[in-house]
Amino acid sequence: MAGPDRLDTSPTDIAVELRGVHKRFMQRQRAGTLRELAGSLLHPKVTWIEALRGIDLSVRRGEIVAYAGPNGAGKSTTIKLLSSLLVADAGEVRCLGMDPSRDRLRYVARIGVVFGQRTELYWDHPVSASFEWKKVVWDIPGDRYLRMRDTVCDLLDLAPLMGTTARELSLGQRMRVDLALALLHEPELLLLDEPSLGLDVLARRRILSFLQEQNAQLGTTVLVTSHDMAELEQLAGRIVMLHQGEIAFDGDFAALRGDVMRHRVLRIEMEDGSAPVLRGAEHRASEGMRHEYVFDGAEVALTDLVAQADAQGRVVDVETHRPNIDDVVAELYERWQGDVTGQP
Amino acid sequence: MAVDAGPGRGVGRVSIDLCRLWALYARMDVLWIGRAGSTAFMWYLADFIVGTSVVISTWLLAERFDGIGGWSKGQVFFLLGYSLIVRGLVECLFGWNVSHISRRIGRGQLDHMLLQPRPLWMIVLTEGFSPLTGSGMVVAGGIVLASAIGPAVSPNWAFFALNLVASVAVVIAFSYAWGSLAFVAPRAAEEINSSTMAMVDQLRGFPLDGLSAPLIVTLLSVLPVGLVAWLPSRALLGLDQSPITPWLTPLLACVLAGIAGWIFNRGLHHYGRTGSTRYLAHGHRR
Repeated sequence: MAGPDRLDTSPTDIAVELRGVHKRFMQRQRAGTLRELAGSLLHPKVTWIEALRGIDLSVRRGEIVAYAGPNGAGKSTTIKLLSSLLVADAGEVRCLGMDPSRDRLRYVARIGVVFGQRTELYWDHPVSASFEWKKVVWDIPGDRYLRMRDTVCDLLDLAPLMGTTARELSLGQRMRVDLALALLHEPELLLLDEPSLGLDVLARRRILSFLQEQNAQLGTTVLVTSHDMAELEQLAGRIVMLHQGEIAFDGDFAALRGDVMRHRVLRIEMEDGSAPVLRGAEHRASEGMRHEYVFDGAEVALTDLVAQADAQGRVVDVETHRPNIDDVVAELYERWQGDVTGQP
Repeated sequence: MAVDAGPGRGVGRVSIDLCRLWALYARMDVLWIGRAGSTAFMWYLADFIVGTSVVISTWLLAERFDGIGGWSKGQVFFLLGYSLIVRGLVECLFGWNVSHISRRIGRGQLDHMLLQPRPLWMIVLTEGFSPLTGSGMVVAGGIVLASAIGPAVSPNWAFFALNLVASVAVVIAFSYAWGSLAFVAPRAAEEINSSTMAMVDQLRGFPLDGLSAPLIVTLLSVLPVGLVAWLPSRALLGLDQSPITPWLTPLLACVLAGIAGWIFNRGLHHYGRTGSTRYLAHGHRR
């Protein structure tokens, strides 16, 4: 088997394209009582879970896309569809110019997949043996293998781990090695399903910078799911938010902030201690000479508010901040939950 | 899910790929067993004891009554040795749960196989190759078989290897046909191959002569344990003089492999629609 041929690609600039993709799963309803059990034996109850409802998504080559959403939104289903492990019920899935489920062999030779809770490593073998395994099974040419092995070992600091068995690695170490393994054949598309699950800050930071480096140097397209929004924001330029199998947001993080949480917090310290009245801002709290306001950044400019305060007394200090991305997403999820339950 | 036959490759290229993969897994097997001498010794000892204990009851019966049901003691020993070699070859060629495919399917580990850029049949043929860790029972079988050979027991060696391969194919086909149930019931059928293998282990070493015709037909078809050792041993030892008997096990093995392949592919299509609803890590990597 020849290694991945980068010339053998789709003529378009699109790495991943989903058009009207639907996927649903049958779920049996289990009996909780003996009476229900008797009934369910005769008439089994099933419900259909709509995992994906007409997803349209395009990812350009070389793009890093964060794929986020609450539990059960359809993230992992999408990753499995893109990994050729699942077939769509309806719609079209094209990746690297191929249909993943029909062209499995050619396709998986050109992608890398990492599932955060799974490992491709041989448990009782040193890491180097798993690397050799990958070389043979993926038929990676010797020079390319050595170059990539040296690169990933260097960037992820794996040299001290090469002689260690997988079972002796910490979670962070194992994840780094799994990621390196997924990149040994220089995949054009990297699919990461919660790659940083359970990792400490340092391990996470290392992996993020490694992915950015790979993307910058090799133009690897990356689609990554995670619940850690700060991590996604650091890594990706674009975020696709899923909600109940539909794309609820597709854009950059700044737009997500603006779309969901336009309000900003202003803390102002006055010399005389009284809270100034600011048009366009809502007074929230006061503590001594410090006063907190909330305002809509799109409606009123920060400089206007400071000028208003300055006109009513001497301003000693001003502090403002945007909501962090976790707050934004929490707000978004709460809204969605409210939509579902019918509560505001 | 498309059932991949692999891109159009010549027989030569496929053979080279197979040999490279077998060499890879053989190397890994050597590394694994070579980690510590004590581990290797205990591994072989346990394998030897397990292998011989499965056939010991038949062995003792044959010793006590100087044969069983028309089979001489030497012929029974040949049957036992043959059955042990078959079982050992299954361990050698399809170890690490490749023969217990229901575990891989039921635990969601088939995904690991499907993410490799190789045809699934090639992965099945090579991934479980463990010539050292799986060889304990082959050695035990070889010793038992060698002890049976003599002037009174002279098998037809021309058909020996062919029947041996066919018997291994029967065990794997039986395993995959029933193991495919795990595609539709991953949790309930995860261990079904433990049962199918246990059935093979318990019945493979008995001469089936004297059983009723329907029972023999059942044991040569739906539950084909008669093809694991009894029918090929009969053919190889010349207990049945018909010229077709040395070909019977290979022919039936082809039929069973075809049926098992069809069932497995149906299951694979189902898997493509539903995916795996559970994942357990243990057992998929040595």
